[in-house]
Amino acid sequence: MSDSMHEQLKQSDGQVPPEDTQSAETAPPAYGPHARRNAAVIIVVVVAVAAMLIGGQYLVHRGERSGAVTAGGPKPGATAPDFALQSLNGNTVHLADFRGKAVLLNFWATWCEPCKLEMPWFVELEKQYGPQGLQVVGVAMDDSGKDTVAKFAKDMGVNYPVLLGKESVGDEYGGLEYLPTSFYIDRDGKVVARVFGLRSRSDIEDWVKEALSHGSNAAGN
Amino acid sequence: MRRLAQTILLALLFSPLALAQGAGPSVEMAPAGITPVVRGKPGSVELDFRVKQGFHINSNHPNSPYLIPTILKLDPPTDIAVGAVDYPAGRNLSFAFAPDEKLNVYSGDFAVRVTVHPLHTVIPGKYNVRGQLRYQACDDRACYPPRNLPLYFEVQVKKAAARAHTRHSRQSPHIHN
Repeated sequence: MSDSMHEQLKQSDGQVPPEDTQSAETAPPAYGPHARRNAAVIIVVVVAVAAMLIGGQYLVHRGERSGAVTAGGPKPGATAPDFALQSLNGNTVHLADFRGKAVLLNFWATWCEPCKLEMPWFVELEKQYGPQGLQVVGVAMDDSGKDTVAKFAKDMGVNYPVLLGKESVGDEYGGLEYLPTSFYIDRDGKVVARVFGLRSRSDIEDWVKEALSHGSNAAGN
Repeated sequence: MRRLAQTILLALLFSPLALAQGAGPSVEMAPAGITPVVRGKPGSVELDFRVKQGFHINSNHPNSPYLIPTILKLDPPTDIAVGAVDYPAGRNLSFAFAPDEKLNVYSGDFAVRVTVHPLHTVIPGKYNVRGQLRYQACDDRACYPPRNLPLYFEVQVKKAAARAHTRHSRQSPHIHN
């Protein structure tokens, strides 16, 4: 038997068999005390791992219930924080500039694939509800630079203002732990809904209608 | 039996990390152990990563220039050079948010192999190589800002084995029989 084979058997069984025994590949299965010991060790290890994973899940869920893992930002009914951000045209745009309109404020990024799916919907909604007072505003939370954002927006056929985001603005809107994140703001600047992650087009349209129907300048008021 | 033992060992290595995970995405690295390398010769270190279930990250070669690739950046100590970093091929997958697109991603377990090359001048011993894995994760409905996973691994630099002709090192080079 070679030295390497000895070494392998040492590692697997903890002892070296005599030279004249069969090779490890052809040896019959061992049913001795070592096999029972190995089985007991494996069972103990499996039970320990399962206990740790179950305990970990419990801790995670406890954190969710306590609100430690939930996303933040202005809640419905709160005034949406104003900001001053640069547009792709180079103008400084404030949220307050849109007072009197319902605003769909969408935070996105060029590296966010789910964000891409929403953009054509926003284009359609801007066309459909713009005459009633809807203003879609995109805020790109990219580090890739103005040119990249501009090219991306052009490729996507975006017809609404796109602003270059800042971390400080993201912080005011809850840290933006994930994208897309959208805030639906009524004509008085109050948040009607905040939505994290991709939602269906019909859900988005419902929130747009809700934003349009709220505020002192809402149709019918 | 050995395969089962390896699986259990891997689960044990990652299980403390799983406990620390919250609701967001995460990539964790299993402890790399100490890799022996010979002074003056290149050696290979495998770094094992795990993407939290339900998430994916872009591969090193995503299918779109807008997507952020997974990149390993290392800061080795003086006299230990880092050579090629071999990333695994990603999997081309479609997701509900982009059914017509194939994204090249890592999910579950993946390994990155790093070539380290201790120079001839390095003093034998144990060295830490620190660095970070930059990745950007998504799930089925949202994407998360890029993150950096700090990491480190250890290499044990050893002297090269003595050559056969050194048996006669006592012999003066000026004496020729």
